[in-house]
Amino acid sequence: MIRAIGAFALSVIRLVGALGLVLARTVLHLPSLDRRELMRSIVLFGYRSLPLALMAAMLIGSTVVLQAGVYAVKFGARLYTGWAAGYALTREFGPLLLGLVMAARIGARNAAELALLNINGQIEGLRGISLDPFRLLVAPRVVGSAIAITALGSVTFLVAVAFEAISSYFSLGLPLRVFFNSFDEMLRVGDLIGGLAKTLAFGLAIALVSTVAGLRARGGAVGVGQASASAVVLSCAAIFSLDLLLTPFLTRLFG
Amino acid sequence: MSALLRIFGAPAILFARTITAIRRDGVNGRATMVQFVEIGSKSSLLIVAGLAFFGAVMVTIAWAQARKYTGNITVVGPAYFELMVREFAPLLVAILAASRVGASTSAELAAMSVNEQLEALELCSADPISELVTPRLLASLIALPALMVIGTIAATASASFVVTYVFGADGSSFTDARFVDPVDIVCALVKALMCGAFIPLAAAARGLKAKGGAPAVGEAVTAAVVDASMGCLLIDFVVAAAFLLIGV
Repeated sequence: MIRAIGAFALSVIRLVGALGLVLARTVLHLPSLDRRELMRSIVLFGYRSLPLALMAAMLIGSTVVLQAGVYAVKFGARLYTGWAAGYALTREFGPLLLGLVMAARIGARNAAELALLNINGQIEGLRGISLDPFRLLVAPRVVGSAIAITALGSVTFLVAVAFEAISSYFSLGLPLRVFFNSFDEMLRVGDLIGGLAKTLAFGLAIALVSTVAGLRARGGAVGVGQASASAVVLSCAAIFSLDLLLTPFLTRLFG
Repeated sequence: MSALLRIFGAPAILFARTITAIRRDGVNGRATMVQFVEIGSKSSLLIVAGLAFFGAVMVTIAWAQARKYTGNITVVGPAYFELMVREFAPLLVAILAASRVGASTSAELAAMSVNEQLEALELCSADPISELVTPRLLASLIALPALMVIGTIAATASASFVVTYVFGADGSSFTDARFVDPVDIVCALVKALMCGAFIPLAAAARGLKAKGGAPAVGEAVTAAVVDASMGCLLIDFVVAAAFLLIGV
C-alpha cells in the first residue's frame, strides 16, 4: 500500500518535473526558434486539423443551443438566447470541447512522432552531432501547436456561432437578426478574450504533455502506442484541471 | 463525401466480416472478458472524472446565465437532467472513450501487424478477426452503455453537489427525473451502442492495415483516434437529428 502510494507520488513528481523542464527549455529557446520546423508544425497541427475542428464547431454550436434553449423554452426568454449561447460557447463549451478533440488529434500525433524519434535513437543522434534537440524539435513544436490551437480556436468560435444561429433558427424559431442583436449587445469583448486565453492555455498544456509523453517513451513499437495513448489521457486530465483553475480566475477578471 | 466513405467504409466492411467470423467460429468468452476489463474498467476512471467535471462546469454556466434571467437556478434542474441523460452524457462518454479505447486498441493491433504476429496467427489456422476483433467488438458493445450509465450518474451527482454546496441552492432539482421519458433513454442507448460498435471497428481497421515499421504504428494510432472521434461526433449528431425529426 505504502509502496504503491510512494510509486504514484514519485511518478507524479517526475511528470511535473518533466513538464517544468520542457517548458523552461522552450522559453529559453524562444529567441532562436527553428523557423522551418515551426512552420511545419503549424501546418501539421493547425491546417491539417481544420476538418476535425470544423466538425467539432458544428457539434459545439448545436450542443450549446440545446443548453441555452432550456431558458428560452422555460421563461420565454428567447431574446436572450443569443447572449446565453455566445456566453456558454466562449466561456466553457468552446474551449473545452475543442481542447478534448484536439488532445486526441494533436496530442496523439505529436507524442507518436517524438516517441518514434526517441526510440529509434534519433534524438541521441542529434545530441551526438552537438545539435540541441530541444531547440530543433521540442521548442518549435510547443510554440507551433500553441499558435495552431489558438488560431483554430478563433475559427471554431466563428463557425460555431454561425451554427448556433442556424440551429436556434430551426429549433427555437428565432430570427437570425434577434439572435445576433442580443449577441452583439450583451456579450463583451472580455468573454471572447477569456475563451481564447483558455484555448491558448489548453493548447500549451496539450503540447507540453504530449511532448513529455513522447520523450519518455521506451522500448519498441509498443512504446510508441503507449506514449500516444498516455498523451491523450494525460492531456484530457490536464485540460480538466486547468479549466477548474482558470474558470474562477477568468470570472473574477472579466466579471 | 470521400472522407465520409473513408471513415465509415472500412469499419462497415470489418463489421460484416466480424459477423461472419462470429457465425463461423463462435465467441471466445474468456478473451471477451479480458477486453471488457481493458476497454470498460480501465476507461472508467477517465470517464467518471471527465463527466463529473463536465457536470460541475455545466451548472456553473447555468448559474451565470440564471443571474441574468431570473436569479433562480433550480427551475432549470429537471430540463438539465433530461439534456444530460439524452445529449451530453452520451456525447462526452463517446468522445472520451474514442480517444482512450481508439488509441490503445489501434496501437496494440498495429504493433501486432507490424511484427507479423497476424501472419503467425493465420499459420496456426486461427482467424485474426475472430481472435482479435470479435472480443473487442463485443466487449465495447457492453462497455459503452455501462460507461454511459456510470458517467451520467457521476455528472448528475457532481452537478447537484456543486449547486447545493457551492451556490447554496437546492441541488436535488438536478436529479429530478420529471422530464425523462423512455424515449430519452432509448436515444441515449442507441447512441452508446452505435459508438460502442464503431470505436473498436474503426481502431481495428486502422490497426490491422498498419504495414512497415514503427512509423506505421504511430500513424495508425493517430488516424484511428481521429477516425473514432470524428465518427462518434457524426453518429451522435445523426442520431440526435433523427430522434428530433421523428419528433419525440
